[in-house]
Amino acid sequence: MNREEKYDIVIVGGGPNGTTAAAYLAKCGMSVCVLEERPEAGGSIENVEVIPGVRIDPHATYMYAGAAPGFDQLELWKYGFRMDWRQEKLDKMLAAMMATGKIHLCLTTEGMAKPTEKDTLNWMKLTGMDPSAPFTRELLRAIYWCPPHPPEVEVTAENIPYMQVYKRHQPDVWTEELLEMTLFELMDEYVESEPVKMLHAMVSWYSGASPEWEGVAIPALGGECLLGYTFSNPPRGGMHDYFHAIIRCAIAHGAVIRTCCPVDEIIISNGRAAGVRLRETAAQGEKTIWADKAVLSGVDVKQTFLKLIGRRHLDASFIQRIKDISLKASSIYVSHFLFKGRPRYRARFALEGTDMIPGQGVYPCDSREIYYEHLADINGRKGPPSMPVEKVMWIDCGSKLEIPDACTIPGHYLISPLYVIVPPPEYLVGGPEAIDKQKAKWDAYMREALGQVLETDNIVAQWSNTPWESEHRNVGLIGGGWYATRHCRDQWAENRPNRLLPELARYRTPIDGLYLCNQSSCHPGGLALMAIPYNLMHILIEDGLVEPGDWWYPSPWYIPQQGKISAKPR
Amino acid sequence: MVIERREIFQEFPGESDWDVVIIGAGPNGLMAGAYLAKAGLRVALVERRYEIGGGLVTEEILFPCYSSNAHVIYHMMVDYMPVLRDFNLDRHALVWIKPNAQTAMVFENGESLVLAQMLEDTKDSIRKHSIRDSIAFGKVMRTWERVVSDIVAPATYVPPASPLDLTLALQRSEIGREMLEITERSPLEIITDTFENERVRTIMLYTSCMWGLDPRETGIGFFVPLLLVRGMNKCYCYGGSHKFAGALAREIVQAGGTILDAAEVTGILTENGRAAGVQTAEGRLLRSKVVVSSLDPKITFLELVGAQNLPEVLKESTEGWKYDKWSFNTLHIVTDEPQRYACDDPWVDESFMTVFGFENTERLLAHWDNVISGRIDLDNFGGHATCESFFDPFLCRMPGKYVSFFQMHAPYDIEGGWEVRGEELKEAMLAKWQRAAPNLKRESIVKSVCETPVDIERRLNMRRGSIKHGDYNPTQLGYFRPNTECSGSRTPIEGLYLCGASMYPGGLVLGGNGYLAANKVAEDLGAAMWWKPTPEMERYVKTYFD
Repeated sequence: MNREEKYDIVIVGGGPNGTTAAAYLAKCGMSVCVLEERPEAGGSIENVEVIPGVRIDPHATYMYAGAAPGFDQLELWKYGFRMDWRQEKLDKMLAAMMATGKIHLCLTTEGMAKPTEKDTLNWMKLTGMDPSAPFTRELLRAIYWCPPHPPEVEVTAENIPYMQVYKRHQPDVWTEELLEMTLFELMDEYVESEPVKMLHAMVSWYSGASPEWEGVAIPALGGECLLGYTFSNPPRGGMHDYFHAIIRCAIAHGAVIRTCCPVDEIIISNGRAAGVRLRETAAQGEKTIWADKAVLSGVDVKQTFLKLIGRRHLDASFIQRIKDISLKASSIYVSHFLFKGRPRYRARFALEGTDMIPGQGVYPCDSREIYYEHLADINGRKGPPSMPVEKVMWIDCGSKLEIPDACTIPGHYLISPLYVIVPPPEYLVGGPEAIDKQKAKWDAYMREALGQVLETDNIVAQWSNTPWESEHRNVGLIGGGWYATRHCRDQWAENRPNRLLPELARYRTPIDGLYLCNQSSCHPGGLALMAIPYNLMHILIEDGLVEPGDWWYPSPWYIPQQGKISAKPR
Repeated sequence: MVIERREIFQEFPGESDWDVVIIGAGPNGLMAGAYLAKAGLRVALVERRYEIGGGLVTEEILFPCYSSNAHVIYHMMVDYMPVLRDFNLDRHALVWIKPNAQTAMVFENGESLVLAQMLEDTKDSIRKHSIRDSIAFGKVMRTWERVVSDIVAPATYVPPASPLDLTLALQRSEIGREMLEITERSPLEIITDTFENERVRTIMLYTSCMWGLDPRETGIGFFVPLLLVRGMNKCYCYGGSHKFAGALAREIVQAGGTILDAAEVTGILTENGRAAGVQTAEGRLLRSKVVVSSLDPKITFLELVGAQNLPEVLKESTEGWKYDKWSFNTLHIVTDEPQRYACDDPWVDESFMTVFGFENTERLLAHWDNVISGRIDLDNFGGHATCESFFDPFLCRMPGKYVSFFQMHAPYDIEGGWEVRGEELKEAMLAKWQRAAPNLKRESIVKSVCETPVDIERRLNMRRGSIKHGDYNPTQLGYFRPNTECSGSRTPIEGLYLCGASMYPGGLVLGGNGYLAANKVAEDLGAAMWWKPTPEMERYVKTYFD
């Protein structure tokens, strides 16, 4: 058997970013090889039929990527991509809101919150969802689908892409202060009801950025907009089938994608990334795969440098800074519940005059005090969560309800997933497995938490995974972190993966021919947006590695780096 | 607040045109698709599940962290499948493992038997029980191996001949005449006549009939050599059986084919008596010159084409289609160590499959009789087990853990119903397994889940848990599978072809059905057949049909 192979580009990790990059590069005519450790590619975009007839998405649940240029650049429709538009559910939801004035997503200890007109109108103004002046897609593309500006460009309120969008479409929203604000401050200005603010805050937090983080008000808002853009509808067949369209696009353009092929080392030769060496347990044994042009690491930033490259090629200062990247704030304990018979709201949440099935919402949205308490509990101390169950904040995506093929057992309903943010494994007293060792207890905690809003007597099955399990299931999810590392200002845009690592800011690395392509290392982080590969394309074009065809268009806000080839078509 | 969908992004169209639409992306659909796409035809596969593979399913059913081959694991025809020669699946890191210790059987008193790939190893094991049987085994295998390698294996990939033609053809050679003779007899007769020792007979009978043969049925005797010989050549797909599906899917997509997941077909369109495409549950229409169905005949003809659109003869024969006589109940577990069986041969622990629970043929036959009549006697049952991650570390995401399963024959219609009996049976299976492998302590079980025949139906759309889409009996085998008009893949409805396990040569991922369908479709559409028969097939055709 051939122990060596050669491609233009070798990509480590067949998750969403690695595979999307493969699709882009293969479409440019490059020979590409993707190496994935698990038996199935897809990383965190996966489906599992936990018992016959019940399909869950263990990680990525929602289609956040709606505004991605990738849909038309990669022509995903050709590879079978479809959505599960649940118009009926949306209609019911809207009808219930109109009839009761209550917003069923926004759950407080008292019941459902009633948004004011100002709450709704101003939110639409901020997010560009106002039908008279829509600019959501442009706003989202500005936040996510544009590489950070090159180092010689000073980042200002004038040239930040999303600021340009506001200036154009909502000039009265544009202020210099917008750049310094927290999402809470922004909402205090635009939204009236505290519960509605909390709803936005929580959705933003679970989508990557906390509402009290300085200077990321708009990126935090963006997380929720990404969901709103496709009305929280999932892809047909679940998130993994969105991935299927991407991987099939890559394969159709000639990319080789191998599973059961863990990479042990990125080979550095004369300061250049020259290829990778597979682990001896790989399906075809230890093998060297050479990369003529570049190696892309779709693996998280810590393992990329600390494990795959190793100390001998890096200096101590760099290693320390890599180690210091914060993992906190995105480790999630997640449960999926099977109900026999329709899930029922507890009495105080009754929605008179509608036949809506509950399941989807944020609780408790009473006030930000609970949120701060929760945050202090999981981010500021060592130990497992200690919030009393009545107050634990959760998001119930309920996204599987009314999707016909997610639960096909007659008379059964799936509420899936229910998220609670917990400390990362390394923060647990009693070792990283502390939560896992008491899983039955935490499962009960999750049930009870959901039980604040729903009757739980008809739950017949529950599946959960802990951050520790997430980390093992999905090698790239270090610390069980869902969007890898926090999307705070120090780790956002040109500061990603971290303000102290400017040499990694634009997907390049100190090692020639090695590029980063993972949510933890690259702007704009997680959520399976096809954004990192799109942004990375600009950089690879700048470096003269690829020349895409007519199908390519760069971000309108992109600024080429001096002395490099521009990614704008000539 | 209404967003126009079209503005967001383009989706797969509501109506599309194809040369070939294949219903079901299981092993056969994928194989047919791979050949036809590479022949330049515009091919679309339409799959009900969110994931391709059908029975080639390796999934995290012990969620989280532990995957299992939820259905097919023992691949018996890897050495012969044309698809593995015609495509370079190496490119997709597809690797097969073929352990020497293939099937072991352990008995209550600690004695054991191991059927190995290597003949002399098997004879060593048999000799412990009967010198005469070990000699008989060596001798009979000389013939049976040739029956398989010269006739049955290559015939798997050649369209079926009518019984008369086949009989005449086989008369031509001594091996052919041997095969005709064996075929006349029942598995039980063959095995009882060949071996004297009860234990040897038990393992041979289990191996020959475990996939659903009636041990007392005459006219199917050739299955004994086939399943014994190939049962000693089982392969494991490294990374799980689904990798095989993934490799085939990559070939299809690379050749320009399209796969639609989560797209259940609700109807096969017919226009002027011709198949013209399919309709999916979400309302999409795929028009095509040819439709190939991998589903069983009842679904294909009665449900999707519609009884009213069928010629009378086809309708009648389809209504008479019989599903498998038994299904499986499978207990999947995660443990801290692989099972160590209480027996006299350490090699058993390395065996690909270990059978336990049966002391003699009488008990085995009684168990199968029970199952056929809808019962399970908790004092008399058994089955086979495999520790999958002993061969495949990729199935476990947590270090130091192992996934294994214990599978037993079970009726779809169990007395009392599965919802009631499931838990009780799971406990009984665990106890039975523990008795055979004492290190399987309850406290070492990290996780467990049972999949019943009802679950097989629900997950894989195999009606009544029929793992072969339909019973193996003389009226549903060979030229008669599923009926004389359709066993060669073409059907009386022009443009509609079969490629599933219900067609010749049958179930168990033989790699024949999809291949044969591809041959017929390519021929009928005038597509370039870029592939050639394997040398074994050529020799077989030349010897018997030239």
